[in-house]
Amino acid sequence: MTTLTISGLTKRYGELVAVDDLSLEIAEGELVSLLGPSGCGKTTTLRSIAGFVEPDAGAILFDGVDVTTLAPERRDIGMVFQNYALFPHMTVRKNLGFGLEMRRIGKQQMAERIAKVLDIVQLTGLEDRYPRQLSGGQQQRVALARGLVIEPRVLLLDEPLANLDAKLREEMRFFIRSLQKGVGITTVYVTHDQAEAMVISDRIVVMFDGRVRQVGSATEIYLHPASREVADFIGLSNFIEGRIKERTEEGRYTVETPLGDVWCRSALALPVGDPATVVVRPESIKLTRSPPNNSELNCIAGKVRDRVYLGNIAGYRVVCADGSVIQVQEQPWHVSAVGDEVHCVFESDLAWIICE
Amino acid sequence: MATPNQVAWQRPTIGSHAGHRARAWLRANAALLLVSPTLIFLSCFLVVPYVNMLVMSFRNPSTTSVFAPGYTIGNYTKALTDPFYLGVLAKTIAFGAVTTLVCMLIGYPVAYHLARTRARFKGLLYVCILSPLLVGVVVRCYGWIILLANNGLINNTVKQMGLAPHGLPLMYNAFGVGVGLVHVFLPFMILPILSAIQSIDPALEEAARSLGASRIGTILRVVIPLSLPGIQAGSILVFVLTISAYVIPVLLGALKFKIMATLVIQLLIDAFLWPFGAALAFILSASGAAVVYLFIRVTGPLMKGLA
Repeated sequence: MTTLTISGLTKRYGELVAVDDLSLEIAEGELVSLLGPSGCGKTTTLRSIAGFVEPDAGAILFDGVDVTTLAPERRDIGMVFQNYALFPHMTVRKNLGFGLEMRRIGKQQMAERIAKVLDIVQLTGLEDRYPRQLSGGQQQRVALARGLVIEPRVLLLDEPLANLDAKLREEMRFFIRSLQKGVGITTVYVTHDQAEAMVISDRIVVMFDGRVRQVGSATEIYLHPASREVADFIGLSNFIEGRIKERTEEGRYTVETPLGDVWCRSALALPVGDPATVVVRPESIKLTRSPPNNSELNCIAGKVRDRVYLGNIAGYRVVCADGSVIQVQEQPWHVSAVGDEVHCVFESDLAWIICE
Repeated sequence: MATPNQVAWQRPTIGSHAGHRARAWLRANAALLLVSPTLIFLSCFLVVPYVNMLVMSFRNPSTTSVFAPGYTIGNYTKALTDPFYLGVLAKTIAFGAVTTLVCMLIGYPVAYHLARTRARFKGLLYVCILSPLLVGVVVRCYGWIILLANNGLINNTVKQMGLAPHGLPLMYNAFGVGVGLVHVFLPFMILPILSAIQSIDPALEEAARSLGASRIGTILRVVIPLSLPGIQAGSILVFVLTISAYVIPVLLGALKFKIMATLVIQLLIDAFLWPFGAALAFILSASGAAVVYLFIRVTGPLMKGLA
């Protein structure tokens, strides 16, 4: 079991700063995702941990020991690549045995460990196949097994599901999650797919432009985004611009907006009069014909402009008095027609203030 | 009873029927038509001379004319039983193998570097590799002679420095000819290997490193096995070119270093033994083909997993 520490990691490619002063602590057995759009530095970070990228500044520590200058083969890592990178000239057995051979593991023990890991990834019986004789999903699991069989200190996964079809990808999310919990290897997982990150991770690191923008569990990042960028990247959001009017109690504020006062929450101590943006997720909003009796609920009046039916949800776009549009996700059986006068109702707990 | 409309409709179909047939014929024989210029050229200048030579190799030798009447297999039995000719054949094959091996050992690192470099002057490196082919064979050889001759640049320097009072045997032997051949055949080894390495996903090398293989281990266990098709192709090219090389062995070996090609020309031009020379030429071709076939059979199983 290994703790992984990244401190002040910086990597430049000419003018471009790929990773900018990134620091992160990953606990033993934890699975942390690096999530962000392409070019945000997540892969560069992963490759720095692996040793394929030499950072310009900062350090990588395994259990407190600096490995920054150590060659990849001496770091004891398992890595799974986006295109699997299975050795095409070796059978599944040889692919899995490669890392064990490099570690001079005896024949008998090697056979046992290969059999065990094949059982874990449910590929027993395919030992003598060549990679090209396997389906994409099977190749993916061989790649995982190859990374796991050496029992590395740190497992690094670089968009391992990106090349699978949608259905298989969803299955594999749960598979990888339970596999990692089972073996308990400290894992860094790179993805640009927010749903994947949310299913798989203990913690998610959201990155933009080489910098960490937020670190937290899926719930924290979704419900309490740190910035507009984070909220925008993860799920759909409504942003209502305004000004802090009043602090009612600990962590609760009233924000004055063009759509009326909105009661919301924030973990920060915000001075009255500061500009503030309120984030409300579309599924937090209910549509009603009449304003609610409960005066503690937020309520914004508007007119339905669009309605789309998606089977599991019904999506609405509501135009408010000032012309701004609020997105709402209602239950599929909710019926408001285009042109209906409606009230967008949401709890103050589900309205979150971000400051920039 | 045909209405005028029907007649007008029928006429063009009759006219176009022949045209349609011609088009169909063209379509069916398009491939043949396209290759026919090459076929005619090859039959005139390759097949006919080869057949002529094959016939010649079975003719009776004569001291007064090109050949005597009648046919024999004597030319072949003589060549294959005489230790001198067998010796030259063995030497030629061995020389080809060594030249190929040297090209492989020198060329592989160059090909690997060129395949993986991200340098801006990559195009210049290509030109460097192809440069031996851009210089005429005679100019190239005289360049080597200036360097390698008994009174050449290297020997004069060595003698002046007192390292070897009698100079070094750099020319008129296997070494000198080998240097000249490796120089010009290196591109034929490098280019196939280069393209083979370029088709290897660099992630495979990283995967090997992540699993604990050193740089050298990665090259030995992953890169070389995966570039075997390129090595195979390059080796066959260099081997075939070497055993049939003539100009360079003559210029740098000055007929003191005898291999099959120089021997055959000597027999044909100087000794005027056309039937025997033709037989020797065919023995060289057949031996070369046999070696290539064996090489493919041996290296084939090593490439099992490759598509």
